Amino acid sequence: MEGLRKKMIGCYVTGAFPRPTELIRTTRAYERAGISKKRLEESFEKATESVINAQISAGLDYVTDGMLKWQDLLRPFTENLKGTTVGSLTRWFNNNTFYRKPIITNHIEREKDVVTNMICIEKLPKNLPWKAILPGPYTFVSLSENQYHKDKAELMFEFARVTNEEIRSLAEAGFSYIQLSEPALVCEPLAPKSRKDKLALVNDVLQIAVKGITTKTSLQTFFGDFSKILPEVLDFPVDHLGIDLYKTDFEKLKEYDFERGVALGLLDSRSSLVEKTSGLVPVAEEIIESIYPSNIDEIFICPNCDLDFLPWEKAEEKMKTLKSVTQSLKEEFS
Amino acid sequence: MNKLFPTQEVGSLAKPIWRIQSYTGKSLSRDEINEAVHWGRTLRIENLDELVKLLSERDFAGKRRALLEWSAKYAIRFFETAGLDIFFDGEQWRSEMYEHVVRKTAGFKFLGYVKSFDYRYFNKAACIDKPKYTKPFYLDEFLFTKENTKGKMKVPITGAYTLVDWTFNEYYEKRLSGEIIDFKTRKFKAKEEFLFDLIKEVIRREISKLVDAGAKWIQIDEPAATTNPTEEEMKLFVECFNETVKGFNCIFSLHNCYSNYEILAKHACELRNCSQLSLEFANRDSRQAGTGNERTGYNAIGSFEEHSFQGNYGLGVVDVHTDFVEPPELVRDRILHVARTIGDPSRICVSPDCGLRTRTWETSFRKLKNMVLGAELARKAAA
Repeated sequence: MEGLRKKMIGCYVTGAFPRPTELIRTTRAYERAGISKKRLEESFEKATESVINAQISAGLDYVTDGMLKWQDLLRPFTENLKGTTVGSLTRWFNNNTFYRKPIITNHIEREKDVVTNMICIEKLPKNLPWKAILPGPYTFVSLSENQYHKDKAELMFEFARVTNEEIRSLAEAGFSYIQLSEPALVCEPLAPKSRKDKLALVNDVLQIAVKGITTKTSLQTFFGDFSKILPEVLDFPVDHLGIDLYKTDFEKLKEYDFERGVALGLLDSRSSLVEKTSGLVPVAEEIIESIYPSNIDEIFICPNCDLDFLPWEKAEEKMKTLKSVTQSLKEEFS
Repeated sequence: MNKLFPTQEVGSLAKPIWRIQSYTGKSLSRDEINEAVHWGRTLRIENLDELVKLLSERDFAGKRRALLEWSAKYAIRFFETAGLDIFFDGEQWRSEMYEHVVRKTAGFKFLGYVKSFDYRYFNKAACIDKPKYTKPFYLDEFLFTKENTKGKMKVPITGAYTLVDWTFNEYYEKRLSGEIIDFKTRKFKAKEEFLFDLIKEVIRREISKLVDAGAKWIQIDEPAATTNPTEEEMKLFVECFNETVKGFNCIFSLHNCYSNYEILAKHACELRNCSQLSLEFANRDSRQAGTGNERTGYNAIGSFEEHSFQGNYGLGVVDVHTDFVEPPELVRDRILHVARTIGDPSRICVSPDCGLRTRTWETSFRKLKNMVLGAELARKAAA
């Protein structure tokens, strides 16, 4: 029995960090034309350092640059791909935050590296592995207005090819972990009739996105119930599957055996209540034991979605909880 | 009101520059004082000299309150002069629809700024204790408005569902953390408890004060109504509305904008004592006059009708997010188009999409005046 319990436990974040207070102040001043672009840049750099340090202190297995500059998950692509323009403000799923809708007016193509240019690579620590986060093809297309392609599937395949090139450039720049964020897969209702076809399509699209990729990959879902895409999601061509535990039915989740790694969204980024380690560890244990009856596999503990729903101070506190929960679980499953 | 196509406003109006500047303790420029005089004359405000004197005075205790009353008086007169049939005071007493209530209610704590979009943020509070009513937060402005107009009033208030949706729910989530293991169930239950406590302990108490003071029509603002478009959440939203208005001898209406109307339409007929849905359409519509296929922005009306909503529409015919001033003919055609679609012109009350706080007074005035002219044209056409 002892051997069965052995798991690889790690932790990381799954989205953007909140902008620290000082950076919020600078960005607001910049908007009111009170300060120069240079001052703004300096403020971003300083804040990025804080965010990276918070991740190092929390002992994360992969470090991101915190994505402080990302105005929304899609924006780097909306602004920089050929064939897209920036559309109107639209609600970001079930949140009181907004993104700008990509309008697709032509074939989409990369003119330069999008994400690699967005990340402050020079600030990332040399001695730790790096993680980058991109919107998944399904989510990007669901949230776009298609004015060009004959259907969404065609656009999805095109975006998957762009994604593949992006991942290759990130790998070359030194990233060893790529997360594709796919909230739309679980947040929007899937009609029972078309559900299977849709998930099969997403599988095909993802095959294109990760073709020939040697980094670790994950598909992170949030804002919705992961059990809605079970069991099909278990065949998706990624190393790890991310689950928002604050939106997922535990009992349904436990009905399945996972032969893939998971990223358990155990901390609630949409609540300012800082969880107690003792309240989270037993929940994680129970889920891990039930979805992995025999296989040894990789488990990451993470916030359920972007931490930028919280003020910076709360996000910092949550990082400390992330660290202590992961340590407890490591001991438990070693 | 027996008049066909009565006109109304929806809530907020920008704070005048002379008030904003004086509030911060700065002395006003000549232009800013002229602005106050210009509008004072346009709106035929009495005793304008007193305001000019006040604006030139140094800060003193009570200066802010005096400024507030002046700006409320201006706003009331602004709507009257534009020719509206139903209005309030442009929400001049409120800093903002969320903060105004949360700051005046016990059990909340502001945690700081979180992202809204781009470089915009909002100050988000957490509920850290059971919400408790400490003092009225809409009563004073209601009494003031009542005293300063003979017109028909509609009091806009922020709905409980939106207040809860925009607030971190620490108190209830913590309370239930030992009780319910499943996170999803716990969060929903915590939201439910927060919501119904807020309605009972705070919102209904305030409504009761307003009704006792003579309020006849209360508009509940719920911009967050369809934020969580699941059946479970929409059911909660409907229960929230019904519980809020239950038993009061008063007319209620709902204002919701920039939302998913397909979802709202499904549930609109479940709202009890909701005499009017005030909705945003102009923002979705073309600017070309006409009453046929041009009116794509008003397609959602069909959904409300299909789902048997029988109340009135506060029909958004003026886009509040653009400086484009709708010509009266465009307003007229929007009204007539919907009148034909629903087959009953008496169910239409002519409105802007939402509060006008993001527009200047100049633009807002021109927009509202054209709205009133457009309603008059529609009345003639329908007669």
